[in-house]
Amino acid sequence: MSLYLDQIRVIVWKDLLLELRTRERIAAMGAFAVLAAVLFAFAIDTSVVRPQDVAAGLIWMTMVFGGLLGVGRTFHLEAQDGAMLGLLTSPAPKDAVFLGKTIANFALLFMISLLVLGVFMLFFSVELGPSPLVLVLVLALGALGFVALGTLFAAVSSGTTMGETLLPILIFPLLLPMVIYGAGATSRLMAARPVAEVEGNVRMLGAFAVMAVAVGAMLFRFVVED
Amino acid sequence: MPRLRRAMRTLLPMALLAVAAASAAAQDMGLDPPTELARQSLRPYWHVFIAYTIAILLVAAWAGSIAKRLADVEKRLGE
Amino acid sequence: MATAGIRRAGLALTILGLAGLVLVYWLSFFWVSTEMTQGVAQRIFYVHVPAAWTSFLAFGLAALTSGMYLWLRDDRLDRAAVCAAEGGMVFATIMLTTGPLWGKIAWGTFWTWEPRLTFTLLMWFIFLGYFMVRSSTEDPEKGKRFAAVVAIVGALDIPFIHLSVVWFRSLHPQPVVLKPEGPTLPGDMLTLLLTSLTVFTVLFFGLFLLRYALEGLRSRVELSARATV
Repeated sequence: MSLYLDQIRVIVWKDLLLELRTRERIAAMGAFAVLAAVLFAFAIDTSVVRPQDVAAGLIWMTMVFGGLLGVGRTFHLEAQDGAMLGLLTSPAPKDAVFLGKTIANFALLFMISLLVLGVFMLFFSVELGPSPLVLVLVLALGALGFVALGTLFAAVSSGTTMGETLLPILIFPLLLPMVIYGAGATSRLMAARPVAEVEGNVRMLGAFAVMAVAVGAMLFRFVVED
Repeated sequence: MPRLRRAMRTLLPMALLAVAAASAAAQDMGLDPPTELARQSLRPYWHVFIAYTIAILLVAAWAGSIAKRLADVEKRLGE
Repeated sequence: MATAGIRRAGLALTILGLAGLVLVYWLSFFWVSTEMTQGVAQRIFYVHVPAAWTSFLAFGLAALTSGMYLWLRDDRLDRAAVCAAEGGMVFATIMLTTGPLWGKIAWGTFWTWEPRLTFTLLMWFIFLGYFMVRSSTEDPEKGKRFAAVVAIVGALDIPFIHLSVVWFRSLHPQPVVLKPEGPTLPGDMLTLLLTSLTVFTVLFFGLFLLRYALEGLRSRVELSARATV
């Protein structure tokens, strides 16, 4: 068991280290998050709509689009340098590879989602509300479900001729539950509603994340085999 | 597939005829729409007609596509 | 050859189904009574609901055979999956076009995020992805595996999609839900609905078998083409 965990840890560490050195993905995702918030701020006509009303939904859409940017490149390096074969013939079982990649992606997206939250608080004049930790938990669970599905389908799309352009088509229909529960919980927490109201949402987000990770781990080997 | 094509050729016009006749007859039968929504308007009849036509067209399109592809494959196998 | 038997069965069922469809059309125009509150437009129900059920059946079959294909690696399972998926798209399209036609009259709006409509729309897109993934790989075997994964994940997401849409709708004031009638259907409407359901199912299976026979022949052609190379 500890060997398994070690293998996951190694893959997480490798990906995060690479990211730390090149800062490719985090720069792209971070810049996107801020710029998207800027555009959204101007796309809202404040004489017709209160910014606070739409902030939660836009936060989640920014997370989704920014997350797509990052997750789409998960296997880019491996595909480019022919490192995929090395990764797959390593003694690490395929689901360990998947979990490692997912955790690394999660670390990235979670940081970015905090950035998105902060930027929207600034631009849209929304408050964290009285339960900031629950809000962060909601974002974290959403991010986890997203990266699990994203990592699985990034492997799929990088094996096709269409590449990353196929990724949104594959993922977006599956993300509906995450967006509904996540944005719903976020808007309620920001409107200072009691935590009890969002308990159901948090549970569903958790269940969704668990399903996504489990299914991804189980199906990943079928995607990358050969 | 000649048999399928023949079957389609007889059934499809029959179906379309039935739908057309039905919509004409339904109007004649003087069915007075009892609700505010559809009073003094033939629009619901149009919607029903279009809906049923879409259904049969889509089914026919799929059947036709299968028939055509079967013919193509059989030709290739025959070579 | 087993394929000939499948084709005969498929053709028989298809002709039966098409005849049944004409019967359903006749019944819904001349025989069944008009619904009181919704008027004539309610008749679309007899095509809309069976199309929905058939598409769910087809997509479910596609997901199931996809799962079994990944497990057993029998090409016939993949062929069944692709045929079922195609049928699912056809009937889902019927459902998604007839729904708004009914809705415009019944609720005054072409579209609403009603659970069944939303769900069918999402499944339509998930299986669009299924076909896109299948046809955009260089190695067809990879394409089959990828498509199977898409179908399986899509199917597993279904409970979440359903629950979340139902919850979403419970928050917002809704137009009258897509119900044919009050709590129970009167006798003749129920009869017609069940007849139509049977007809659509027979039609689907007939066309499915024909499509499956086609797929079997196609794979034979491909094999012989590869053998001669």
